Amino acid sequence: MTLEESIKTVGSIKFSVFSPSEIRRYSVVEITAPETYDEDGMPVQSGLMDSRLGTLEPGQKCATCGNTTARCPGHFGHIELAESVLHIAFVDVIHKLLLSTCRACGRLLIPGDDLESFQDRIANKNDFAPGSEEEIAKEIMVKAKKTKICPHCGKQQYEIEFTKPTIFHEITEEGGAIRLLPVAIRERLERIPNDDLVLIGYDPKSSRPEWFVLQVLPIPPVSVRPSITLESGIRSEDDLTHKLVDILRVNQRVRESKESGTPPLIVQDLVDLLQYHVTTFFDNEVSGIPQAHHRSGRPLKTISQRLKGKEGRFRGSLSGKRVDFSSRTVISPDPSLDISEVGVPLEVAKKLTVAEKVSPQNADFLKNLIARGPFQHPGANYIIRPDGVKIRLDYVSDRVSLADTLAPGFTVERHIMDGDIVIFNRQPSLHRMSIMAHHVKVLPYKTFRLHPAVCPPYNADFDGDEMNLHVPQSEEARAEALTLMRVQQQILSPRYGGPIIGAIRDFITAAYLLTKPETILKKEEFACLALAGGYTGPLPKPEIEKPVELFNGRQLFSLFLPNDFNYVMTSKWAKSLRKGGVARDIVIKNGTLMGGVIDRAAIGAEEADSVLHRIAKDYGVDAARTFLNSVLTVLKNFITRHGFSYRYDELILDEEARGTIAKEIDKTYEKVRDLIGQFEKGTLSTVRGLSPEENLEYYVVNELARARDRAGRIADKALPLDNSGVVMARTGARGSSLNLGQMTATLGQQSVRGKRIEKGYRGRALSHFAPLDRTPDSKGFVQSNYRDGLNPAEFFFHAMGGREGLVDTAVRTQQSGYMQRRLINALEHLKVEYDLTVRDPHGNIIQFLYGEDGVDPAKSDHGKAVNVERLVETEALTNKSKEFLEEDDLKKILDKYEKELNPQLIYDLRDSLLKTPLNAQGVKNVYKKVLELLDKATIEPGEASGIVAAQSIGEPGTQMTLRTFHFAGVRERDVTLGLPRLIELVDARKQPSTPSMDIHLDEEHRSDKEMALKVAKEIIFTRVADLVDHSDIDYAGEIKLFLSKEALQERGCNPELIAKMVQTGKRKARVDEEGIVHIAVEGADFSTLPTLRDKIMSMRVNGIPGINYVTLVKKSGKKGDEWVIQTVGSNLAKVLKIPGVDTSHTTTNSIYEVETTLGIEATRTALIEEMVNTLEEQGLEVDIRHLLLVADLMTSKGFFQQIGRHGIAGKKTSILARAAFEITVPTLVEASVKGEVEELKGVTENVIVGLPIPVGTGMVDLFMGGVEND
Amino acid sequence: MEKSSEKLSVKVTDHVFVPHHEILPPKEVEKFLKKYNVRIDQLPYILSTDPVMKEKGAKPGDLIKITRKSKTAGEVTYYRYVIEG
Repeated sequence: MTLEESIKTVGSIKFSVFSPSEIRRYSVVEITAPETYDEDGMPVQSGLMDSRLGTLEPGQKCATCGNTTARCPGHFGHIELAESVLHIAFVDVIHKLLLSTCRACGRLLIPGDDLESFQDRIANKNDFAPGSEEEIAKEIMVKAKKTKICPHCGKQQYEIEFTKPTIFHEITEEGGAIRLLPVAIRERLERIPNDDLVLIGYDPKSSRPEWFVLQVLPIPPVSVRPSITLESGIRSEDDLTHKLVDILRVNQRVRESKESGTPPLIVQDLVDLLQYHVTTFFDNEVSGIPQAHHRSGRPLKTISQRLKGKEGRFRGSLSGKRVDFSSRTVISPDPSLDISEVGVPLEVAKKLTVAEKVSPQNADFLKNLIARGPFQHPGANYIIRPDGVKIRLDYVSDRVSLADTLAPGFTVERHIMDGDIVIFNRQPSLHRMSIMAHHVKVLPYKTFRLHPAVCPPYNADFDGDEMNLHVPQSEEARAEALTLMRVQQQILSPRYGGPIIGAIRDFITAAYLLTKPETILKKEEFACLALAGGYTGPLPKPEIEKPVELFNGRQLFSLFLPNDFNYVMTSKWAKSLRKGGVARDIVIKNGTLMGGVIDRAAIGAEEADSVLHRIAKDYGVDAARTFLNSVLTVLKNFITRHGFSYRYDELILDEEARGTIAKEIDKTYEKVRDLIGQFEKGTLSTVRGLSPEENLEYYVVNELARARDRAGRIADKALPLDNSGVVMARTGARGSSLNLGQMTATLGQQSVRGKRIEKGYRGRALSHFAPLDRTPDSKGFVQSNYRDGLNPAEFFFHAMGGREGLVDTAVRTQQSGYMQRRLINALEHLKVEYDLTVRDPHGNIIQFLYGEDGVDPAKSDHGKAVNVERLVETEALTNKSKEFLEEDDLKKILDKYEKELNPQLIYDLRDSLLKTPLNAQGVKNVYKKVLELLDKATIEPGEASGIVAAQSIGEPGTQMTLRTFHFAGVRERDVTLGLPRLIELVDARKQPSTPSMDIHLDEEHRSDKEMALKVAKEIIFTRVADLVDHSDIDYAGEIKLFLSKEALQERGCNPELIAKMVQTGKRKARVDEEGIVHIAVEGADFSTLPTLRDKIMSMRVNGIPGINYVTLVKKSGKKGDEWVIQTVGSNLAKVLKIPGVDTSHTTTNSIYEVETTLGIEATRTALIEEMVNTLEEQGLEVDIRHLLLVADLMTSKGFFQQIGRHGIAGKKTSILARAAFEITVPTLVEASVKGEVEELKGVTENVIVGLPIPVGTGMVDLFMGGVEND
Repeated sequence: MEKSSEKLSVKVTDHVFVPHHEILPPKEVEKFLKKYNVRIDQLPYILSTDPVMKEKGAKPGDLIKITRKSKTAGEVTYYRYVIEG
């Protein structure tokens, strides 16, 4: 492989089918011998390992091209099949063609006039009828299949019967089923004219249908199916070779038996066997035939299996490859590192190299490295001479003299050293921060070291996690890593526009301990810590000067704040002290922390609007990095000196608290006993829609949950504020008050599948309890706490709950992983263009302005384009003018800005300026600053906005609960939430798993409950059975329905209505004085009456189908209280037609219904709404721009498209991208039949062929100025 | 059974989920396409059978201007090309 080899790039890839003559033309040898090697181990001539097919051993030369293994690509051979067989991949296409073409003349079974009109439609295709070719092809197929007489030659057409996988029969009227042999099929396919094929979308130039029937089989070169020699010297052949041997053997037998005149029946059996072998050669997972097995019993991996699936060629070898210059080992923490550094073990550093070109500037340096050799770090492993020869330094004895030969033009592969840039990654790489560029720091021992502050983006911990490290080899790669991928550039997450890197765990504890008011530092301590943080300026004025100079922690923290930094916020600590805690306690004035404690809210990871966030936004990410480094170092040193631990005795509550908790629990038990008593007596008040048991459970679970909360709260109160656990929980360092409660007070109810534990024995959870015992103890309520320990039954219950948690996590990771794969696949090719539109690679516009305001979420201020309020406040601080603009004048000024700023910003400006008035100059200053910041926050052209959106939605998926059901709003209404709901939304399901509506009412009905109830009665779906108490059949031909008064009342129905609804021509219904409905049925007897009764019972009386349950809920809004009907089940179209319903505010969670009744734009609105609500409910922050993009994409074709195989990912134009996504082989088959061309415009395609991807820095192209034509 | 009684049609454009749609005058279409340097079939689509389109009486080939409320920008315009369907 020399450099002189001509370099060409792939422009496009055309897919087509080989014709038999092509196969023969490309073949270098006809394979006839089923043997591979002879006794001497030499390949047999015309055998499967013929040396003309290429070479396997490195020394050998190819008999065809004369090259060695490295340069010989291998050459195809062929087998002449004794009898034609079908190609399994094309069987479906063959079937379709047989059905739609004439058995005699081969024309499509469509009259000539119609064909012409179809041709016309294709020729005069309109812009506003995209995809009409496919429609036409489908239409033709449907029409042709129905035709029985050929309109061209008038021949009768027969039914075709297809027995999977490869057998066709023709059902003739006279002679019954006649087998259609491949030869006959081939003849028929040959007759189909090219023009007809074009009409149904096939490209006859790329693939004539007769080529789907194989006469010649191409034999892949040996390099495709290498044989391996085991240590024992035994040769082992590849699966494909085994299969080919089978084919050759049977082929020979077919030929021989045909020649020797064996009875046709036996020959046919042999041909079928040949068909079987050829079929399994292509695909060994065809349903309906047995799999071919290896001698060992393992199924053979044939061509289709090689391509398919995760480990297949597309996903396993082309979309992702194994790489050089990488390493992997366990990670461990090292807070002494810079956050942008990674500790690399010495051993690794001596193996990983960087190729450095020799220049006069670095010659001496590199010579020295060469002299040091490969075993000393820093050293070098290889020298590449200008002639391309690589010298391995391990084998050079006199390295010093070799080093002297070094001259410009040489390349040295030197060890990686401190300061080199490397790429560090932890799987699963769910978002872009999972791969970041770090600077190398070579360290002893055998693990990679990273700063604990970068754990959140990687989602890493140190319980045995491993990470990968890659060394970029080219100048371009290093430059990109340095400018785009470094840790500080990733501080702000594009998911929500806030910092994802920051202080965690003990750093936060330390920050609290340092900045709490009581902390006093001696001068020496203060100076020591300040220096550790890199502060070299003068010491501030001590807080206390006499008798000794003393400083406080805030002063220390302030040293690292920018001098002009002003900020006010609330600490997590202050927020947790509901009483006595000051809101907005953290006050920073001119870089000095005046008051408040620093904790998670101020410097923590994943905390938006924190001090850290503000520094990153206002002073840049590099400043944020230095700030973090300094502060974290100081905190590390401080807490090391201070000491911090959590003692066992800190978990002991005082006697009083323990007594109260015990009393609380006793009281709860008493209440539960009372509830059970009421339940047994049947006096328990019921929540509608629940069975008595469910009802009891509902009350009991609530009661017990409250008991746990109360116990937790008592514990919380009893624990002193300096309790380490309390410090950690309240500062946000680790744990929660729930955890504290569980350790010190009581563990609470354990649950499995959202219920109290009931599994195990009949009527009881464990044999220690009486059957049907419903007391808390017997159903998994754990009274003990972790400190005291659990009793055996409690322990068991706890383990049950714990197991469910583990299973849940395992299931969830799978589900969310697949969702993310689909999202990525659907969105990967979207990018922001230079005009800030979002387009796919074909120029189709998805959004006219990214995110609707053109702002990059990563550069946004927690989702906002510009933090206007802060700008105005800052301006007010510096602007000392006493004049303020009046509202009218303000309006005039703002109106002028409307051209430059979007309505939201104008609104924000007005809002802030009314709160904090400024003078005209002040407003102008603010406006200028807004424009400047807006420009900075604008998204950059080329940004892979699709991928970022997919990651931002997919990544939090793992953090969502799998708990499908959750009470939301109404007690009896379960709604799917969390991950399953999100999946449902991106799946574009027609029917959500829990359809539900919020029906708002018009003015007349919304304020009064009675009026609302009237509408509700019209809506709830009522069948006869819902109103009937019991029924009676008079076998003389009458059915009597005894109605339930309450039900009639409740559902607003009357007997007359029922009579009307069930009445038909043959059935007469009447109501008697007692309100009993009599239905007289003509001509019915004892056998039909009961079924008729059942039929009548399920007939509709009133209401809307699909609405199974309604509840009235009082909601308070802007216009005062209103009654809203919430439903189980959904039917938007019909509900909107009910009088009394507010048709402009009524909503449903069934997106599909919105699409059909309100249109595509409403679909988009509803989809965004649902996604926002789902994520919000889970407490996950995702910038709305990501959701907007997904929604715009899903609705961009005018109808609601799924993210996935049947939607966007499946309709991509790129063949390779579709093949790599899910349905590999059929995609390739279709592409070759239609003669499709891969244009290589998207991302996956280019990854597969190894070209730069056309997004981001890969999008930049150089256009040469052409000569202008005149 | 009840088809005749369903004549009482609902105005979908009144619904809060449905933003304002209007048919862009043919004169402006050319200007618009030039501004975004785009072929008309590269725009997002809306089906002519869409409830809103039926109400507005739009025909395939029309260009629809949609004024959406936006959580990021306050108000934005979006465009869809009416196709058969």
